[in-house]
Amino acid sequence: MKKTIHTLWNRSAKDYADLPAVRWLVKKDIKEISYKQADEVISGLRKGAYALGFEHRHIALVGTNSAEWIEAYMSVVTSTNTAVPLDSALPAHDLIDLIDRSDSEGVFLDPKFASLATEIKDKCKKVKKIWMLSDEAIEGTESLKDLIAAGEGADEPSAPEEDDISMIVFTSGTTGKSKGVMLTQSNLYTNIEAILYDMDPGLIFLSVLPVHHCFCLVMDWLNGFWMGAVLCINDSLMHMVRNMTIFNPDVMLMVPLMVETIYKRLRTLDPSIPPEVVSEKVFGKNLKYIFTGGAHLEPYYIEEFNKYGIDVYEGYGMSECSPVISSNKIGDSKPGSIGRPLPNVEIKFVDGEILVRSTSVMKGYYKMEKETEETLKDGWLHTGDKGYIDEDGFLFINGRVKNLIILSNGENISPEEIENRLALNDLIGEIVVTGEDNLLTARIFPDPDMTGGMSDEEIRNALQEILNDYNKQQPTYKQLSKLVVRKYPFLKNTTRKIIRAEVYRDEQGA
Amino acid sequence: MEQKFKEIASRYCKGDVGEITPEMAIREDLGLSSLDLMTFLGDLEDEFDIEFDFGADEQKLGNIRTVGDAIGLLNEYVG
Repeated sequence: MKKTIHTLWNRSAKDYADLPAVRWLVKKDIKEISYKQADEVISGLRKGAYALGFEHRHIALVGTNSAEWIEAYMSVVTSTNTAVPLDSALPAHDLIDLIDRSDSEGVFLDPKFASLATEIKDKCKKVKKIWMLSDEAIEGTESLKDLIAAGEGADEPSAPEEDDISMIVFTSGTTGKSKGVMLTQSNLYTNIEAILYDMDPGLIFLSVLPVHHCFCLVMDWLNGFWMGAVLCINDSLMHMVRNMTIFNPDVMLMVPLMVETIYKRLRTLDPSIPPEVVSEKVFGKNLKYIFTGGAHLEPYYIEEFNKYGIDVYEGYGMSECSPVISSNKIGDSKPGSIGRPLPNVEIKFVDGEILVRSTSVMKGYYKMEKETEETLKDGWLHTGDKGYIDEDGFLFINGRVKNLIILSNGENISPEEIENRLALNDLIGEIVVTGEDNLLTARIFPDPDMTGGMSDEEIRNALQEILNDYNKQQPTYKQLSKLVVRKYPFLKNTTRKIIRAEVYRDEQGA
Repeated sequence: MEQKFKEIASRYCKGDVGEITPEMAIREDLGLSSLDLMTFLGDLEDEFDIEFDFGADEQKLGNIRTVGDAIGLLNEYVG
């Protein structure tokens, strides 16, 4: 048996054929498809792509979570093709750049982003086909129906090998260019295999994370499909809490920010209401397990949620490791830790940095040999996180080697990426981006040559204008919410690099 | 309506409903995270039985900074 997503899906489609696979809302009605029905669509799309010559090709997906998005994604990862799931909240020029840089030849496009179709056609010369994630196409595109029709009567394409690249996920890069993490079929399969927990089919998951994220794709969707779970789609973060009482999930994956928002809800309810009543009102009737990752969760929340009968398990990972490295598990957890390393993971520490060797470690960054060599040395993945293992074998994180800012929504922000972009502005002499309370702050020393004769207020206003222009083009999590204008340059080391650790310390009076 | 609005807002912030003023910044002063703000807008939809148009009003929704901004937008929908 090959350890591929093709194997995983075919097994589930057969074993759980009549069980519901996906549920979603259309207005206020719940729609549902079974594993068998989903398999028919997935197989149809896969055959269609193959009939059109898509074999070992890259296919990008632009959209938010929907049944169509998932079916399209599954049709790619169960074939020899490579899925490139993209963050639809990115500005159009970034999406175009990523479609181009990933050498995508096909694009699945959510109708919400239909306006991108013309630009993709014009600027991404390798793209041969754009399929709308809908039964209706617009000019220059085709519909899902068209794609299925293209493969009508055709044979199934050959199955992928374990070492085929199943997907490329983009992650923050320090040089201003995001890096495409190449994950093989067996990288994904063995990550799920290592984390499985013993539950009957029919378990209900509510998927609330952005669907292009590795954590969401692998641990909600692929893991859920493996277990024969019912995957419910949260149509909008606006209605996450309401949807919990509609779908009544047993399990949810979250980032800490979501746990914090739900906690605020709990806190403001009348304390005289019994916990079981509160729990049903906020979490729905069945929620038992919340798995978090992407950023550190304060153990305080674990205790608080326990009072309502809900267990919260924190884990740790990164896209480069498909993504889970360690996780607290049902019946084996220690709050504050990020759990034990998974059975397929070896850990060692070099100068405090966590190094990982695993069957789930990526093949490398797509067309970025230098960055790959810096991160993967002798088979060991350099995580950039500092940590230790305690006497009971639980892993803890206590710092970062690199400068990534991790927000509690799990988004990793590379400060250098933003700094490099803004530094192009003449008015900005030096800039450091920092993160506090989940907000990004730009700390700027204005270029004295450019600010002659300007008052402090004029300088501040001019800098704020620059930030406003930048913010307009960015998704919320990348926006700069605060501005600190410095009177003096930043402290630097002997190689004239700004000493980040000193940014706050020398700010007084700066 | 303002009172109901403030009651819903208070689900996400510490302190007294009476202390919320239109000038207050939703994120910096009331301490709502980006997700709090999203779910708060979702609550407004449910409680006032409206549906924000993220296509046409994307800019307006994205530009909500203060309590006054949010009340203003809500007035357009409820009014």
